[in-house]
Amino acid sequence: MSEHLLRVDWPACKGHGVCAEILPEVVSLDEWGFPIMHEPVKGDVLDMARRAVKACPTLALRLTEPPPRHAGP
Amino acid sequence: MTAMPTQETTEMSNALRPIARNDMGLDPVVSQGPALLAGIAQGPGLVAHRGRLGPAPTPSADELVEMARAVDLRGRGGAGFPFAIKLAAAARRRAVVVVNASEGEPASRKDAALMTCSPHVVLDGAAAVAHALGTREVHVVVPSELPSMRRIVEKALSERAEAGERLKVKLHEAAPRFVAGQAQAVLQLLAGRENLPVTAWQPEAVSGHRGRPTLLSNAETFAHLGHLARMGPQGYGAHGTAAEPGTTLLTLRGDGWDPEVREVAYGTPLADVLTAAEMTQPLLLGGYHGTWLRPAQMQGLTVSRTAIAEAGATLGAGVMLPLAEGWCPLVRTAALVDYLAGQSAGRCGPCINGLPAMAEAVRALVHRGGSAARVEELCGLVVRRGACAHPDGTARLVASMLARFPEEVDSHALGDCRGGRDEVFA
Repeated sequence: MSEHLLRVDWPACKGHGVCAEILPEVVSLDEWGFPIMHEPVKGDVLDMARRAVKACPTLALRLTEPPPRHAGP
Repeated sequence: MTAMPTQETTEMSNALRPIARNDMGLDPVVSQGPALLAGIAQGPGLVAHRGRLGPAPTPSADELVEMARAVDLRGRGGAGFPFAIKLAAAARRRAVVVVNASEGEPASRKDAALMTCSPHVVLDGAAAVAHALGTREVHVVVPSELPSMRRIVEKALSERAEAGERLKVKLHEAAPRFVAGQAQAVLQLLAGRENLPVTAWQPEAVSGHRGRPTLLSNAETFAHLGHLARMGPQGYGAHGTAAEPGTTLLTLRGDGWDPEVREVAYGTPLADVLTAAEMTQPLLLGGYHGTWLRPAQMQGLTVSRTAIAEAGATLGAGVMLPLAEGWCPLVRTAALVDYLAGQSAGRCGPCINGLPAMAEAVRALVHRGGSAARVEELCGLVVRRGACAHPDGTARLVASMLARFPEEVDSHALGDCRGGRDEVFA
């Protein structure tokens, strides 16, 4: 089972905090209410991560495969 | 009603605010160099350029990748990414070439110096890459606050068109702000949107300008590539060391009163670049997003990516800011962080909130009452949490201040600034 990364589109994120409510295993909030991703998404949290992506009010979350290495900075 | 500034903030904004390049209009002294800046005495014209060097060669993409790999050519925008990897990734159908001469770092003047003194050295490199990638589409990004650069590049492009070069070159003007020169911000500019960073889901070499593979590099990087294509790896290695062939451009005192741009071979002793007095002062290496070095670390150090990395710093885009005698590195850092917080594009939450908080925490640390732990916490809260590396660079500067000047941090906590006293930095 491959690992996924929950990535934030930072300019889009407005700190609603829905992701942290749906997925507290992976996401917490900083002192201003913006998400901190603690670990890659895998196993049984993957379904909840998909729900968090859909539930984000500003569509600022993406579930991605780990980025390809060596293609540029 | 607007609050009156306190005595402290007034002093800060008048005396210690870093001076941005467009505020002062002082041109750097540009010295003749061994490779890229070898022809500056003959002026920026194409006839003199071709008379000195002959026609530009047109290697294939594979040959160019091989040459870049042989000399380990790195990007000169600051990140130092291996150019061969980038070029190989972009070498696919309908690629776009972007020459970034917009130089967002306020203390860097080397791309402006290169573009205005020797534009054809850069454009030869861009033409070689375009030919190798089988494209004619080249974009050149110049800073809007330097209209003279735009005129010189326009003249250079018309000379090349008259000489028969068939490239479709489009000029763009970057907004006068720190983050405007960042790769994703440049791609936004090219697409006709606001010149601000956005989230990159893929590297631009894979999906860049309008989703096409894009080779976006710093102007100096293209100049090195053109020089390499002409001289071959062996000729390119006539300067520099076996491990780090070639030369690099440096901006010295780029935000001060006597700015200078110099091209030096890798391996050149730092003591040959800075004055004897500057060697006894702390050095901010790599610009406002850079790292501090103490004089003890500078002894015997050479201009070398690996040697500088071993000293715990990075050469970045080649900016060197020696601290003026009698100044305190903490006060200087606090002023820079203030400036950097103001340069946030204001789009990403951790940057909007974190950089002003960091500026305040550093100011508190410097002017008594602050805590280094709070500053460290804020550094951790902004790193890798934005569309561009502006928060990361700001955190790097602050973290290096804490790491290099712990005694000074402690004495400031007690209300005593020992800045400028020699024993502090020994």
